[in-house]
Amino acid sequence: MSALAGIGAPWLLLARALRQSFRRGVSLREVLRQAYEMGNRSAWLVVSGLGFFGTVMVAIAHQQARRFTGNITVVGPAYFELLVREFGPLTVSLLAAARAAASSSAELASMTVNEQVEALEMSAGDPLADLVAPRVLASAVVVPALCVLGTVAATASAVATVSLAYGADGFSYMDGRFVDWGDVACGASKAVLCGLFIPAAASARGLSARGGAAAVGSAVTLGVVDAALGCLVIDFFIAVLFLLARA
Amino acid sequence: MRASAIPAWAGATALEAAQASGALAMVLGRTILQLRSLDRRELVRGLVLFGYRSLPLSGVIATLIGATVVLQTSLYVQRFGARNYLGWAAGFSVVWEFGPLLLGLMMAARVGGRNAAELASLNVGGQLDGLRGISLDPFALLVAPRVVATSLSVAGLATVTFALAVLWEAAAAFFTLGLPVRVFFESFEQLLGFGDLAAGVIKSFCFGLTIALISTTAGLRAQGGARAVGHAAAAAVVWSSAAIFALDFILTPLLGALLT
Repeated sequence: MSALAGIGAPWLLLARALRQSFRRGVSLREVLRQAYEMGNRSAWLVVSGLGFFGTVMVAIAHQQARRFTGNITVVGPAYFELLVREFGPLTVSLLAAARAAASSSAELASMTVNEQVEALEMSAGDPLADLVAPRVLASAVVVPALCVLGTVAATASAVATVSLAYGADGFSYMDGRFVDWGDVACGASKAVLCGLFIPAAASARGLSARGGAAAVGSAVTLGVVDAALGCLVIDFFIAVLFLLARA
Repeated sequence: MRASAIPAWAGATALEAAQASGALAMVLGRTILQLRSLDRRELVRGLVLFGYRSLPLSGVIATLIGATVVLQTSLYVQRFGARNYLGWAAGFSVVWEFGPLLLGLMMAARVGGRNAAELASLNVGGQLDGLRGISLDPFALLVAPRVVATSLSVAGLATVTFALAVLWEAAAAFFTLGLPVRVFFESFEQLLGFGDLAAGVIKSFCFGLTIALISTTAGLRAQGGARAVGHAAAAAVVWSSAAIFALDFILTPLLGALLT
């Protein structure tokens, strides 16, 4: 039951935040500030994480390929397609969930606990339009951008690993033979949906924190777990949807 | 940034990094020293809280990994005509990579975040100093059992996750590709050995240990009010996730050379 609430509450909050932001307008300055917070500050995490991931993925592919053909270049294009469609968006949104959901649920929960959110309401502000909507809008743009960055980092490190460590032609790995518009659309729609969901999950937990310092801590934990689990669920359903569309 | 600010920034970053790694080493060292005289009750509480209570979450993760891996590979299985090897390929990728990685990332959020938040709020509230005041060692009482409990919990959850994920893979392969469950498990059984399973469990144990060390350190270093507690939890989650990817990079070739 609480798991269902964890999945459902963010979508409700998202809908309400978007409606409020249409009604009251959103400060562009705040959106840009959030985009900087989330994008620039997560870039190092995404690039280093996906850089390591690319190398590990190639190592696994190499072990698998050695069993059949002894040649990694055969499975290279398939892995590249999987990276664009599946691994890239999933891993990047999990990392973005860790980074962005943790910081925004911590910020909103400590504001809620210290009654700053109520103070904002008292001075005719709207927490949904002023606090939640800028985060959602910024994240919907930033997560796809991070996704592109992460995919590039993973590909670059994969190419480097194949060329340097396995002595094969690394660039055969960047073969886009199997990648079509369906794969790109699949990856992009995952990134956008996760981008919308992550700040909404974090805000839902942050704004409902009650109590003292301990409540802030548990809001952070629950916010990140909801966001990451939501990304896994979104990833799964989009994958099913595109598979059905292809069939 | 002005030119004169760059050395100052570099110095501050280096100092911070040195302090953080020193704190990590202290936590690890003192935990090892405390291994003989662990507080049993606190250890059991940690195992229940971090391990047993995370079982539903690891079940959900296993379901999603298992179904997604087969959905995504089914295309290539048909294209390359490798139906008979699906059991091996899918099992291999779950045990070696996706099981430990995704479980580690989720546990970094759930266990690491909670651990850091609990210790930070005890620290900020002056309760750790209170324990020292009545000559109890907060380290032996609160920290060492948590580090042990977290590492063991993640390794234990990994076995459950692997088993469930492989079962879901077999089910997904049956429903999407019509691959008989027998064929799936034949290649799984013939081509995967004990070494592969051990590699996955060792990897998960190392991830758990890293999560425990980073989150404990973040909690103990927290200073301030409610904001500091949130900051400690957030820092624990972010740094654990980053460390998991780096550790994955080191462990995969290492375990591959040692165990296969």
